[in-house]
Amino acid sequence: MIANTLPEAVRRAAEEYGAFVERLEDPLAYEEGCAFHFSAKDNLCAVGFQARAGSRVLDGYRPPFDATAVERLRQAGGLLVGKTAMDEFGFGTFSTNSAHGVPRNPFDRERACGGSSGGAAAAAALLEGHLALGVSTGGSISCPAAFCGVVGLTPTYGRVSRWGLIDYGNSLDKVGLLSADPALIRQYLPIIAGPDPRDPTSQAQPPLDLGGEVGSVAVPEEALAGLSGEVRGSFDDALAALEGMGIEVRRVAMPSLRFALPAYYVLATSEASTNLARYCGMRFGDINEHTDQSFNDFFAQTRSRDFGREAKRRVLLGTFTRMVGFRDRYYTKALQVRQLVIREYARVFRDADVVLTPTMPFVAPRLEEVGRMRPLEMYQADFLTVPPNLAGLPHISMPCGYPGGLPVGMQAVAPHWAEGRLLALADRWGAGFAYRRPEVRA
Amino acid sequence: MKIGLEIHVQLPTRSKLFCACSTAGEEPNSAVCPVCLGFPGSRPSLNRRALEMGVSIAKFLGCSINEEVWFSRKTYFYPDLPKNFQITQYETPLGTNGRFEVGGRSIGIWRVHLEEDPGRIRRVGRAGEEVALVDYNRSGIPLVEIVTAPDLTSPEEARAFLVDLLIELRHLVGVSPQDEQTVRADANISVGEERVEIKNITGLRNVERGLRFEATRQSRLLAAGKRIVRETRRFDEERGTTLPAREKEFEEDYGYIGEPDLGTFTIGPMARAMVLPETPLARAARLEREGLPAATARQMVLTSMELADMFEMLCPRVGREAATTWTLGALTANWKELQGRLDDRTKEEIATLVEGVRSGTVTDSEAKLRIAALAGKEVTPEAPAEGGDLEALVARLVDEHPEVVKDYATNPKAANFLIGQVMKEGKGRYSSKDVAEKMRKELEKRV
Amino acid sequence: MDEEMVRRVARVARLELTDEEAGTFAADLEDILAAFAVLDEAPATEGFGFNPVPVEDRLREDEVVPYPDPARLRQEMRAKDDWVRGPRLT
Repeated sequence: MIANTLPEAVRRAAEEYGAFVERLEDPLAYEEGCAFHFSAKDNLCAVGFQARAGSRVLDGYRPPFDATAVERLRQAGGLLVGKTAMDEFGFGTFSTNSAHGVPRNPFDRERACGGSSGGAAAAAALLEGHLALGVSTGGSISCPAAFCGVVGLTPTYGRVSRWGLIDYGNSLDKVGLLSADPALIRQYLPIIAGPDPRDPTSQAQPPLDLGGEVGSVAVPEEALAGLSGEVRGSFDDALAALEGMGIEVRRVAMPSLRFALPAYYVLATSEASTNLARYCGMRFGDINEHTDQSFNDFFAQTRSRDFGREAKRRVLLGTFTRMVGFRDRYYTKALQVRQLVIREYARVFRDADVVLTPTMPFVAPRLEEVGRMRPLEMYQADFLTVPPNLAGLPHISMPCGYPGGLPVGMQAVAPHWAEGRLLALADRWGAGFAYRRPEVRA
Repeated sequence: MKIGLEIHVQLPTRSKLFCACSTAGEEPNSAVCPVCLGFPGSRPSLNRRALEMGVSIAKFLGCSINEEVWFSRKTYFYPDLPKNFQITQYETPLGTNGRFEVGGRSIGIWRVHLEEDPGRIRRVGRAGEEVALVDYNRSGIPLVEIVTAPDLTSPEEARAFLVDLLIELRHLVGVSPQDEQTVRADANISVGEERVEIKNITGLRNVERGLRFEATRQSRLLAAGKRIVRETRRFDEERGTTLPAREKEFEEDYGYIGEPDLGTFTIGPMARAMVLPETPLARAARLEREGLPAATARQMVLTSMELADMFEMLCPRVGREAATTWTLGALTANWKELQGRLDDRTKEEIATLVEGVRSGTVTDSEAKLRIAALAGKEVTPEAPAEGGDLEALVARLVDEHPEVVKDYATNPKAANFLIGQVMKEGKGRYSSKDVAEKMRKELEKRV
Repeated sequence: MDEEMVRRVARVARLELTDEEAGTFAADLEDILAAFAVLDEAPATEGFGFNPVPVEDRLREDEVVPYPDPARLRQEMRAKDDWVRGPRLT
């Protein structure tokens, strides 16, 4: 633990690592005690905190209601200690697109946490016994979990209600959990999961089944190209270890995976560009007082001033991909490709319990390296996390190596609704593999 | 002249289309919640009753019903639109290719679909510098949009179309009679080749006014040898004129995508299982086919469907003529009070009374007194009036209805309508026999 | 994707771009869309949903549940005399 008391730990995590963009400061709230403590990514609404989703356009927005996931954890006795740092609206792979400070990797302060739930992963790594609520659209739970050496579970799309989640992509967003201790994930997933009439997409789920076994894993050859030496080494070691545990490793080909990344970015940005239309200087957040200008100028003024560069880029891309004349080639095609990818996984699941790949193609990059990456490069770094996210399949990232002291994660993907299988694998893996905590001076 | 309409009608559900707020909010921004305000993190859930109403309207209009439908986001920016997109139905309307008859002509219905109403803007400030004050009570109220083919041929016909359509929808799903609030239309009109669109006209009267003005404007341009510009215009209520809508400096590309938060809806089986009630004008058409004059049938169903029920109950027992006379006469005269009191016993008593008059066991005035009493009125029997009064009354009414004189030449039954009017105005003072005699005499004189 | 197209898209999205932004975004999007062209090679499939799992026939009963605190929402919207102020309409 980085401090002797929870409030002190939270303060250090906020001030020294930028994990929190807003934290619970009232000492009395801490004194009352709690069954457990948790944090919420800043795109999840929580009464008593702002919800800014990493964006200036929501500065000052204090939601009048809790997101369902927050509400259920509070009702279960959880103390919400802060809102965690993120890329603006979820747009990013390193949490560097944050208007409220960039979180730093607990294993190496000069390195990125991953994104977009970077602050959540940092909090989970720094605070003992902490449960972090994260959100994944294209890999935003897996990626920071891998870079920060914690376990990150992304449930099936529709498993956890999205009521109170500030939208990035409505057919892709999933609320999930990060923790250094997978037992906490197993304990609290049933609390946040379950149908919610306020989110109709959460009402299609079968009951949560935490049972399950993993006897075989499928490794697609497409996932082994473009990996750094460290990641490849750690992943190969992990496969050997799994075989040693009696788990069968099958090599498969999944050719439609190469279409997943572009299809994901088209769908995600198409949806996001409509979700972000409401941010226009009226009604909430950064309200524009200059009403003496024409409405189009008024809207453009707020949006141009408050959206960060990546947000603008994605709004432009997503507006384009659904415009007349381009919509069929991009938006409609991407919808079809999603079905293709879902079927590809279904085919593989006939012969293996999970699909296993490294989570990210490299270890956490230095922040200055991230600053030099071109947008397309950043998007392509997601090629391992995007496929299960596009398909809405549940997946879990677990640490599987620490080359040079930096965490490497591996990601297991299960069929829709089979979260239990992932937790079973995490349990088995954790029994034989020693997770490391970041070295932080108290 | 070709006119097409895009009609938006508010559906009379209790709660809004996508949230549980009341549709009857009064104080500004009182019936609102995070969903209909588009607050971050909110999301929609579809009102079952609104879907059912929409499907019943599509079925009523004879549309082909889409088996499976979904909703789409139509993105554009305006202060009354909380999310800056409207949830509507683009690729999958509830139904397509229907029709609706007005004045004996069949008007094509291209599509029927559901969408949410935006908020209401109040403009304040000097003209040219107006700012928007917005009330979001209206935001999220369910609308059914009905798009017609450009089959209407005059502003008057367009008005009649809307009047008749709303009569039917009122009975079908309970649409409010206050059309000034609940009905808006965009109208397309071409006198020559080019089509002009007039957007966002509120209420039936303004639709006709706007179309009249625009038809004249276009005709004058053509007569002067000028071209009509294809454009979008708006209707100025105060002046009764159409004006060019403000220049669109910004391109609007709605960029439709499916609404993932709602999913899909299977409405085929629902539509097939629906049994629609007989609506007033459909009933009038049936009564006309069964021999009642059109105007009489229409008057009857528009007074009340229950009145038509009484008529249809009397017909087999006393014949159509007597049924007509008594329905349009004593029953209509007392209808306001009677309609709340029509239990089976009362209906049976009325039928028996009319039968009695026909067979001579009850006098005309006795029956009328009894009906008035059933209506809860205290009526003292009046001395029969001078024949002269009746003649004057008959003459006046015949004066007022030259079309009946015309019809009477070929159709003696045309007299029934006026007989009924005389009975109504005479307030039961005259026996139907007398009135019929005097009426026939008067009409024969004039034919 | 050239600068002209970027500016057109920006107008639709109500974004005012500086010259530098227009140029940079045009280059970025050109790059990105070229990479996305691989989508053209993907086979077409019949039918698609808007969600990765089926979401069908989820309906809410037509009952009024008034929001408990509309005043709080009016406060968030900075309503004056209960009306929400918006910009000029012309």
